[in-house]
Formats: sequence, structure tokens, C-alpha cells
Amino acid sequence: MPSTDRRRFLSSAVLGGTAVAGATALGSLAPETAFAAPRIDLDPGARDPNFAEGRITAISGSLLKVSGSDKALHRVYVTHGTSVWKLRPTTFDEIKVGDGLYARGVKMPDGALAADAVWVNIVNLDAAITAIDSGRLHLDHHGNKVVGHVVTGTTAAVYNHTPAISDLSGLQVGKHVKVIGAWRPDTNEVDIATVYAGI
Amino acid sequence: MLEWPASVQPLFIGGTLLWSGGLKCLGRSARRSAERSALPSLVGEGRALFAYRLTGALELALAAVLLLPPAYAAEAVAAVVLGVGFLGYLTYAKVAAPDSSCGCLSKRRTPVTWRSFARAGLVTAAALLGTQADAWWAGGLGAGTAVLLVAEVAALLALSPEADGLWLLPLRRLRIRMRHPLADRSFEMPLESSLQQLLASPAYRQVSPLLRSGLRETWDEEDTRILCYTAEYEGTAATAVFAVPLRHYLPEEVRVALVDESSESTLLVGV
Repeated sequence: MPSTDRRRFLSSAVLGGTAVAGATALGSLAPETAFAAPRIDLDPGARDPNFAEGRITAISGSLLKVSGSDKALHRVYVTHGTSVWKLRPTTFDEIKVGDGLYARGVKMPDGALAADAVWVNIVNLDAAITAIDSGRLHLDHHGNKVVGHVVTGTTAAVYNHTPAISDLSGLQVGKHVKVIGAWRPDTNEVDIATVYAGI
Repeated sequence: MLEWPASVQPLFIGGTLLWSGGLKCLGRSARRSAERSALPSLVGEGRALFAYRLTGALELALAAVLLLPPAYAAEAVAAVVLGVGFLGYLTYAKVAAPDSSCGCLSKRRTPVTWRSFARAGLVTAAALLGTQADAWWAGGLGAGTAVLLVAEVAALLALSPEADGLWLLPLRRLRIRMRHPLADRSFEMPLESSLQQLLASPAYRQVSPLLRSGLRETWDEEDTRILCYTAEYEGTAATAVFAVPLRHYLPEEVRVALVDESSESTLLVGV
């Protein structure tokens, strides 16, 4: 299905106009459903089998080879059902060798992780604003300088837990902020997705 | 010619050494500052605090002889030696332990930068000038020397990252109050805002146990923003499609449908 037709179909499904085929009540309440759910046996301190993290060393087809920060080697499959975040929801072809990654999914029998969700280069910084100029926040993160780039149309600010807005004029030099963003690999620069601040 | 500016240099250097030596000897966070500095890699972990305190004691002793009469040329020479030694230490720190803090004039963590070198250079230059003095500094005080001292202290503060909070940040704050470079009057609705609304909605609560992925895809449809997730419904993969009001915060009006994209059929329409 071409992507515009697909989007039109998905929109009409939620906005009305399509008949519901074989709709049932939400889920089943039968006890066998609960017993059929896959069991997760985790020893305390054991590695979570359904999670992978590290730097991407190679990409072949839809398979990502990932070298973990604890030296563990992971193989991560990205399917058409996998969500990919890289500053914003995006697609598999935006993932590059050298990017950092967190992936959550289901461990397959061959040891690879079939990813449900992949977050690329995501960072969460608590920092102080040392300067603001057009398009950039200069941040002090525990004594290290970090440059935060404002991406027009993407960067949002949340002040005092109120709904996010695109106006960043509430940010002040000297105040502490929390920044969720995408790291530019091997630099001290991040593109800002959301900045949380108090006023 | 150089006598009158030279005569007050012991006061400037003595004051600076009192500040830095006092902090090293009496500062409550001296241990942490010593550990963060380049000293552990220079003299070893165990001796870092001792070396830090010893440097502070030397600085205080030198400050005392510089500030108190009588004035000897040897005092200024010792200050030059200390200044050159400190420049050498900074070079070592920059090369051997680039992540370390200079640990010089405050408990704040401040990496070694060009400002650290410029500041040490300023103190060393003042000490060099001080070797030309031939009498105790109190005799040379006057309007000219006062202006010189103020200028030197201003230069010292300007080169100290520790003092940025006193003048640099207020200056930047003032500039931003006049015109904020990141003001955005476009009223574009950021994605984060729609996500906040989605998470607060009854529709999301209803199907959230079925969701498997993070946000996969989003686009705007007139006054509605469509958000798609991968879900698992009765053993099959489905797409959860949410419709969130774009311009209003009305979480109870968020709608959801579960769709099987392979057969183009709608499996469930929520609230």
C-alpha cells in the first residue's frame, strides 16, 4: 500500500468511517490467557535478556550489530513494527554506524533481540544553562561544557510540568534544566528534543 | 620608571595568594578539590591531599612575607618562581590529566582552559614587575597605584571561571531579558505536547497493556494529530492508531483504533 493511502486508511480507522471487522471485547478474561503469557525468569543481578545497549558497529540488512558498554555483543533485529527514535520518531535508514542505542524487545531463540523499540543516541542531562545564543543553549554538565542545539519544529520546552510548548523564551541563564535529546556521536553536542525547566 | 607600579605588586600577589592558599589549607572541601586536580597523577593518590595542603601553606607563607614589612627583592623572586612553577603544573595537567580540575581558586570544578593559563601568566607577570620594587608597598599607595590595583583585580576576576557568577552570568541574563534569542511565536504544537495529552487519556489507558513499541509514526490530519504504535491483540500484531486533538487539551476526546495492516481491517475501536 503506498504510504499516503496507508496513512489515509489508518486515519479513517480511528476517525470513523470504517466498519469494525470482528470486533470483540478488549482481550480475554479467561485464566488460560494469563498462563499462556511467556514467563520471564530472571535471577537477581542477571542481565535482562530483553534489553540491549551500546554503540552500533555494523548494519547489515535489518540487523544491527551492537557493542555494549560492558563489552557484551548484541545483535538487534529491526522490523517494520519496531519504533525508532532519533530525536523524533523516525525510520530505520536514519540509523548510522557509530550511533549509540538502547533497544527493548524479545530475545529470539538464536540469541538476537527482536526489537520492539529502539532509541538512538538518546541522552538525559541535568545541567545548568551558562549562555544562550540564537539556536543554541550552552550547558554546564557537572563541569563539562555541552552545546545543546535547538531544532526548529522539534525542540519543545516544558515549564513547571505544564503542557509542552515550542517557545523557549522562558529559559534563563544560570538556571538548572533537564534535557532529553539526541547526542551527536563523539562530540559534546546534543540536539534537544525536550528541555524541562522551572520558571 | 617602573618603581611606582612595581611597589604595589606585592599587595596584589599577596592578596591573590591569601585567597588561593587559604582555600587550600582551610577550605572544607580541600580533600575533594585535591582529588579532582591533576595532583593524584603527579604525586600519587595517597599524597595528593598532603601536596595540596603543602602548596597552600607555601602560598600563605609567601603571602605573609609579601604583605608584611620589610620588603626584600627575594620575596618577589620567590613569587615569580611559584608562578612559573604553577604554569608548568597547568601544562602538565592539560597534557597528562585533561579531565582534571585546576583546583586553584575555589571548590568549584573548573577544567584547565586558556583562562587558567592567562590568569597564572598575569600573576607571574605581576611578580616579575614586583622584583623592581625597592620599598614596602604601603609607601607607594596613591591614586595611580589604586587604579592599577583595581585593574589588576578586575583582570584576575575576569580570568577566573570561579567568579563568573559575579559578573558574567548577570550580564548574560540582562542581555536575554532585553531580547531572548530563542523566543518562538509560531505557536507550532510540539509533539511532546500531544504525547503528554495522549498519556493522560482514557483511550491510552485502555489499550496501553497491548502496546509493544514506542511511538512509531505521527502526522497531522487537520485538527487532529495521528500517533501510531505497534500493539499485540489476541496473538496478532496490530497497529494502534490514536487521534489526539491538535490545538486543544482534551484528553477524554482522544480516540483509538486497533488495525491489522496486512488485511486492512479494523480490529477494535476504543472509547
